[in-house]
Amino acid sequence: MTTSSRQTVEAFLTGLRLRDIGGALSCVRDDAVVTVFPTRVIDGGRADLADLLTDIARAFPDLLLTVSHIVEVGQVVVAEFKLEGTQAADFLGAINQEKHLDIDTAWRFTVVDDRISAIEAYWCQNQLYRRLAVKRQDHVTIV
Amino acid sequence: MTTIQTTTRAQTAVSIVTEFFDVYRARDVVAMTELCTDNCDFDYIPFEVWAKQRVVRGAGKVRTNGRVIWSGLINAFPNLGNDVFHIDGNDDGDVVVACDITGTQQSAWGFISPKNQYFAEPHLFIMHVNEDGLIDSIRAYWDNAGVNRQLGHFEVD
Repeated sequence: MTTSSRQTVEAFLTGLRLRDIGGALSCVRDDAVVTVFPTRVIDGGRADLADLLTDIARAFPDLLLTVSHIVEVGQVVVAEFKLEGTQAADFLGAINQEKHLDIDTAWRFTVVDDRISAIEAYWCQNQLYRRLAVKRQDHVTIV
Repeated sequence: MTTIQTTTRAQTAVSIVTEFFDVYRARDVVAMTELCTDNCDFDYIPFEVWAKQRVVRGAGKVRTNGRVIWSGLINAFPNLGNDVFHIDGNDDGDVVVACDITGTQQSAWGFISPKNQYFAEPHLFIMHVNEDGLIDSIRAYWDNAGVNRQLGHFEVD
């Protein structure tokens, strides 16, 4: 049975929603190319993705992931989803002040042979900093 | 022999959106608007201005919020441009565009004072083209921290 590109992405998102990082990564090829624009990871790899997902799961133990739209355009699938949670550990340099985060994101996936071969992740880091009470982006760790 | 060339809805949708980015590159807000339905939905998700008593967001309609934001951007960045890297569509009329929006700041944009700085920031647009060949939905994502950093503005608010 073949899996649609959309189903592969939904399986990935289910893994992230459950904070099952291994489950999410099982949908991703070993040689996947990963770009996370807000963290300035350009043409990174699966290890960069693993680090990001692990950080999300660790920093937001009450993580709530809500998908608003999924669009499938051939091998490309775009998922728009909101990440919400209460910060419980430092995240992307922002010191834990137990703030609530809600951030809208869009991830562009390329799926080949039922597995994700590329990801480009978009969100506004300024919005993320604002919610986590960071005042200046050149002094993220100063509150 | 007569050859009949058929055009799929996906091809049409991609063509319309390609034209949209062409006229955007030409900074022709009227032409951009004319490619959209009268009631086209508009949501620039990262756009939010936190004032003392309310938050102004970039959500609404093209003919209200969209035109104002586009015109404001072109005023602040007179050479506003875009470089499209990927454009993908389907037969439901969905089109996804990965591009850079670029420009050099010549006047104030929000809280950012002009320093003649250039920015090029990756954007993702998720658009929909209806069966009449008009765009009826535009949503966009990007990182304002990246834009602000390139413009020399480091304060979050």
